[in-house]
Amino acid sequence: MWVVAAERQGVTHRNLDGTLQTGIFKEYIAQKEWLFPPEPHLRLIADLIEWCAAEIPRYKPLSVSGYHIREAGSTAAQELAFTLAGGFAYVELGRSRGLDVDVFAPGLSFFFDAHVDFFEEIAKFRAARRIWARWMRDVYGARTERAQWLRFHTQTAGVSLTAQQPDNNVVRTAIEALAAVLGGTNSLHTNALDEVLALPSERAARIAIRTQQVSADETGAGNVMDPLGGSWYVEALTNEMERQAEAIFERIREMGGDGTMLGGVLRGIENGWFTGEIAEAAFAYQQALEKGTKKIVGVNTAVEQDDDELEILRISAEVEREQCKVLAARRAGRDDGRVRAALAALAEAAKGDDNLIPPMLEAVRAEATLGEICGTLRDLWDEWTEAPRF
Amino acid sequence: MTDDTIERGTIRVVVAKAGLDGHDRGVKIVARALRDAGVEVIYMGLHQTPEQIVQAAIQEDADAVGVSILSGAHMTPRIVELLRARGAEDMLVFGGGIIPREDIPKLKALGVAELFTPGASTGAIVEWLRSSMRASAS
Repeated sequence: MWVVAAERQGVTHRNLDGTLQTGIFKEYIAQKEWLFPPEPHLRLIADLIEWCAAEIPRYKPLSVSGYHIREAGSTAAQELAFTLAGGFAYVELGRSRGLDVDVFAPGLSFFFDAHVDFFEEIAKFRAARRIWARWMRDVYGARTERAQWLRFHTQTAGVSLTAQQPDNNVVRTAIEALAAVLGGTNSLHTNALDEVLALPSERAARIAIRTQQVSADETGAGNVMDPLGGSWYVEALTNEMERQAEAIFERIREMGGDGTMLGGVLRGIENGWFTGEIAEAAFAYQQALEKGTKKIVGVNTAVEQDDDELEILRISAEVEREQCKVLAARRAGRDDGRVRAALAALAEAAKGDDNLIPPMLEAVRAEATLGEICGTLRDLWDEWTEAPRF
Repeated sequence: MTDDTIERGTIRVVVAKAGLDGHDRGVKIVARALRDAGVEVIYMGLHQTPEQIVQAAIQEDADAVGVSILSGAHMTPRIVELLRARGAEDMLVFGGGIIPREDIPKLKALGVAELFTPGASTGAIVEWLRSSMRASAS
């Protein structure tokens, strides 16, 4: 839809630049917003990687995410390892299409969480860059530096924010942001202090962006690359983080049975291994909180009876009604015959091996909605359901 | 009655996530804590409709229904209405998630027995369930 919007504004899609999240593994593992079973989803992703490499070379079609994995309760080492394992699986997917790793790997980027354990997080980011470069060079045969670079976005940990004494969340976010900067993040999102309760208010969102600006413009923390490299403590933690991640990679590869990371990741999704590991870690964290071995200000230490009241943003039901009206008007104004033909062509292509991005763009040009496009594919591919486990 | 007389499996609770909200970290922790405390937990998992949850609760003859909502869509407690419509209004409905403080009395007035918000301990949830069961048994 974005490509078609560009066309309508007279922009050649070849000149577009940007990043799409796309990663599907973390949906099954953590965020739980899947649509289809993993295999057809991977076909769509491979089609997207292939199409973008040929048509919009500057665009990064896939950001491999660990953020959601961490927010679902994983440890730092699990976030690191599960995410990079997903990255390796996508590299294997691209190679299975005959794509050159030096051509498509620069289009991969990453997205990590910055939790509140300051040095552990810095070590995690440093370990991620080391592991990625090594594996891309030694395991997947990348020859260019660009194909070995791990570029990443970071968001501060929503899960570290507390509903109790919420003003303290500004402090947590600032510390997490600093860890991300010192760890070498390429871009950063700072959470607003009230996101523990609702979408952010204007005031809270402003403090969040000012936190980044103070960090960027006043502290000088971003002036040099890897400022903590060589610190005995940070190097030791980075090595330990790498060691833990490598042990997890080995486990995942074994799980697949065919020696590939892709096979292992798919198997771990199907048999609930990833979700089980995360649930274990989340339960252990909760127990540590309840025993008091892990402290959180306002929750189990420095507790106050009357927490500060916040003015939170409320979204009116009117928004939904307005959107429904806009959608109905669009549907009424389009050529239904063209929509049906485009969706039928998409369904036909999905039954074969053709790249699905061109027929999908045709459907969008005909003003098919996201729901209709997904619905067409869902009729063919069915929906994924997760076996409930706790 | 003391805690000791609440034997394993004598409290049966259906636990679920409603709607498209995929935040299941908390609900799994609560389900496990309840199980560890001797409660029989039927965890339905994600993407359940109020109708499915009520159907399961009635079929399982549950004592209580626990729902986790972190999507903001908590102000229409359809589960309470459906239970009432099927004559199962004695089944306790409790919930947890990101519920603004001022919404809690409104939800209780609509028939929700208790709500647990961020920072609630699993111990407090277990204790609440036990004492509610004692109250309804006596």
